[in-house]
Amino acid sequence: MRRIAFILVLLAGAAVLADNGSDGTEWSPVVYPTQRLPLVFSHRKHLARGMQCIQCHTTAASSRSAVDNLIPTEVPCRACHAIERDKPDKQATPVAACTGCHAGFQPDRPVQRVYLTPPPIKFDHSAHGKSPCEKCHGDIRAVDLATTRQLPTMASCLECHTDGAEERHCADCHLTKLGGMIETHFEFGTLEPRRDGHGPGFLRDHVEPARAPGATCTACHDRSECIDCHQGTVKPMDFHVGNYLLVHATEARRGTPDCSACHRYESFCVGCHERAGLGTRGLSAFDANDPSKRFHPQGWSSTTKNLALNQHAQEARRNISSCSSCHREEDCLACHSAEPTNAVQASPHPKDWRASAQCRAQYRGNKRMCLRCHITPTQMGCDW
Amino acid sequence: MNRLVAALGLALLLAAPDAHAYEFWLHAQTIGQAYDVPQYTLAGPYLLLGRRRITQTLALRIDDVGDLAAERRKSRLPERGLRISLQMYLRVDHDFGDFTSGQMILPGPVVRDALDVIPELGESVAALDLMYGYVQLDGLVDDRLRIQLGRVLADDGWGTTAFDGGAAQFQVAGPIQVGASAGLRVRASSPLGNSAYELDGTSGAGCEEYIAGATPGTGSWQLIDRNRTITNNTLSSDYEYCPQRDVAQPSVGVTIAAVRAKHFSAELGYRRTWSSTVEQVGPAQGVDQPTQPLYPSEFPGELPGSGVDEERVYGRVMAKLDANGVEIDPYADARYSVVGAVFDRADAGVRVRAGGSVIEPAVEYFYPTFDADSIFNAFSIEPTTDLRLDYRYDDHGPWRATADAWVRHYGHEDGEPSLAGGGDAGIDRAIAGGLRAKVDVLADDGWGGARFGGGGEAAWQNARDLWLRGRVIVLGVRDDDASLYKDYVTSSTVVSGTLKVADYVAVHAIAEADYDAVHQLQMRVIGVLDLAFMPEP
Repeated sequence: MRRIAFILVLLAGAAVLADNGSDGTEWSPVVYPTQRLPLVFSHRKHLARGMQCIQCHTTAASSRSAVDNLIPTEVPCRACHAIERDKPDKQATPVAACTGCHAGFQPDRPVQRVYLTPPPIKFDHSAHGKSPCEKCHGDIRAVDLATTRQLPTMASCLECHTDGAEERHCADCHLTKLGGMIETHFEFGTLEPRRDGHGPGFLRDHVEPARAPGATCTACHDRSECIDCHQGTVKPMDFHVGNYLLVHATEARRGTPDCSACHRYESFCVGCHERAGLGTRGLSAFDANDPSKRFHPQGWSSTTKNLALNQHAQEARRNISSCSSCHREEDCLACHSAEPTNAVQASPHPKDWRASAQCRAQYRGNKRMCLRCHITPTQMGCDW
Repeated sequence: MNRLVAALGLALLLAAPDAHAYEFWLHAQTIGQAYDVPQYTLAGPYLLLGRRRITQTLALRIDDVGDLAAERRKSRLPERGLRISLQMYLRVDHDFGDFTSGQMILPGPVVRDALDVIPELGESVAALDLMYGYVQLDGLVDDRLRIQLGRVLADDGWGTTAFDGGAAQFQVAGPIQVGASAGLRVRASSPLGNSAYELDGTSGAGCEEYIAGATPGTGSWQLIDRNRTITNNTLSSDYEYCPQRDVAQPSVGVTIAAVRAKHFSAELGYRRTWSSTVEQVGPAQGVDQPTQPLYPSEFPGELPGSGVDEERVYGRVMAKLDANGVEIDPYADARYSVVGAVFDRADAGVRVRAGGSVIEPAVEYFYPTFDADSIFNAFSIEPTTDLRLDYRYDDHGPWRATADAWVRHYGHEDGEPSLAGGGDAGIDRAIAGGLRAKVDVLADDGWGGARFGGGGEAAWQNARDLWLRGRVIVLGVRDDDASLYKDYVTSSTVVSGTLKVADYVAVHAIAEADYDAVHQLQMRVIGVLDLAFMPEP
């Protein structure tokens, strides 16, 4: 255990040292699908001449929506480039020929169109007017053609909007459905948080992310989705696969996976087991007192304190949950109670129980449990 | 008279508030199920009890009640300021097959309704459950305070429970936020309550009463309603007379958390639930006998006025780090039961992702604890420790794979510890034409028994309105000492389909056929009408 803890600490420490803070740095193909930019253009050269972004992207400063098309038309180009459509091969400085911008242009063929899908997010350029363009558009001064790589990632947004990743602010940027949840299904795919257990092992892997402080699950998922699985009325076919009604006993005895994550033994399990004839109160063909009708193996329980004849003790100590799926407290008390009328009075407590912190904590917290077995003051508490 | 009517009409017109068309989202599912549950006998063929269930669910969200954020939304401004929403989930579950509505022939012979003999079956006979339902106020105090009122879902340190009351979360400064919640823990006896939220281990708590003996300290616990006409006492149940199970359980919780503080999150929480002690039981509880003490109270100070049902402190830390393109997410959680004086849950692990591969070693510790009313706390003394290693592969290409391995160590007070372990692996591939195929294998051994087997699956999707899926599984099980059967092989075939009838309307159908030498053929059929109703805003 110590070694494992040491390795974990070492890994975490190494990661902290090497941390480059790239959470969310990828460009989502759902938000920014593949573009088609059949253009020849150099942002680097234009900006190096001292031009301002707004000179070409004239509507950017007033744009209030991400669906606005901010790609310059030919009009701002004409301010410097002496373009004449009826002279596609015109030689001029700066360049004025059609091939200067439209790669592979041929006069007898239509110009290849720029194809940009509007990102399915909310964005207001006009509200960001005070920020320099490079703040969001990265190395725009170093590249020729701008691609999705010069568009902001979620991580770059969060550099300024430091609380933007909190669930209450998801809808600041993401589109919502009615009811306030984030819309995740789009033409080019589904928005999924890459690091939060979504993937082929989701049934097991979502536990930690869902438990995390500030978990954002309910930004996209209604809580009823959790209930449908964890407290549902239908067997989850992908989790309890196969003939689970028959084979669940092995997992229940082991306690793995943790049955209590979804089921309450004392109602869910007991009711079904009683009806199936495996309980202690309902109709059952089994009888612990008749060797020919025994459910548990021989030596499982007896009315003596001999441990060899009471193999159930080990089961109860390590996983009494499996016992409680059929038995109620009264079944245990029949032999373990310290009340005077009980002839067996087999103590379930471990060695040195009365000197333990557990004894004191349980007695201090809830005497009612103690009273189920111990009745006289001489047997109550931990100091007798 | 006409003047009076006119004046009244005018007054109503002037006093009438503006009409608001609220945004709402509604998801309703009608689920029908039919399957068999075996009733085991020692001789002859097993009876198969038909279980027929119909469940109606209704999840509802009403957003921005009062249109308080409408103007900002129309102006495309980020939503700030007070926003009121309602979220709730109602469920009606009705079980009407032989499983619950049938009768049982008891020795005598006595014929009784199964429900009378096994009251736990009542949980689904005609259950109307409010799984949660609360009004949420967001954006208070400069957008730093959130309040929820109603049947609220709460964290008990390891999972989710529910209580009737309120919860608040306040952003103090920077990443630090504090939370507090208080209310009555939802029990099976709560209005529209569900037993799934109740602390486990208390079915029998207070289901017997203490009958004093000739001298103090010589009494015994006995069935509460001893006058009840019961032909066979061993088959009777006093389940419905458990007054301690009906007592309100106040619950309070507080948390302090650092959320996303430079890739690091941590939380420290505390929850305490308690209940007052039932002192007397008698006709007021429907018991046909004079009022008597429920618990022993023959000595001064013997009977506590109240008892703690749970008191837990929990902590968790996790981080999201990157090292040269490798994502490293370490985490650790621990929960301490104050009333049991034990750490009852703990785990630690690290999820490492490089490209499409994720590997996660983890260690998990578990010490079962129950409602502090339950004597199971005294019996459960041997914790388990698991080592896990999980692997996932998914690079959004055609191949996906999973592999898991685990070893469990059982503590043992008196002798050598024992072990269990196993693993599973699966691989699936997208094939052309919307087809996907998968194979997986499973093997485990040790405490509890051994299992080995595998399955194959194929899924097909057509143009986003029809999904079909088929799966075959064969599993061998052996040497489950405490189980009814020692060795058997079971097979299961599942065919399912989803048809999207219209926008937001789908029908799901599942058929499962299980076969094993013990039960022969068993069938399960499930049909679901799935409606997500989203009117135009």
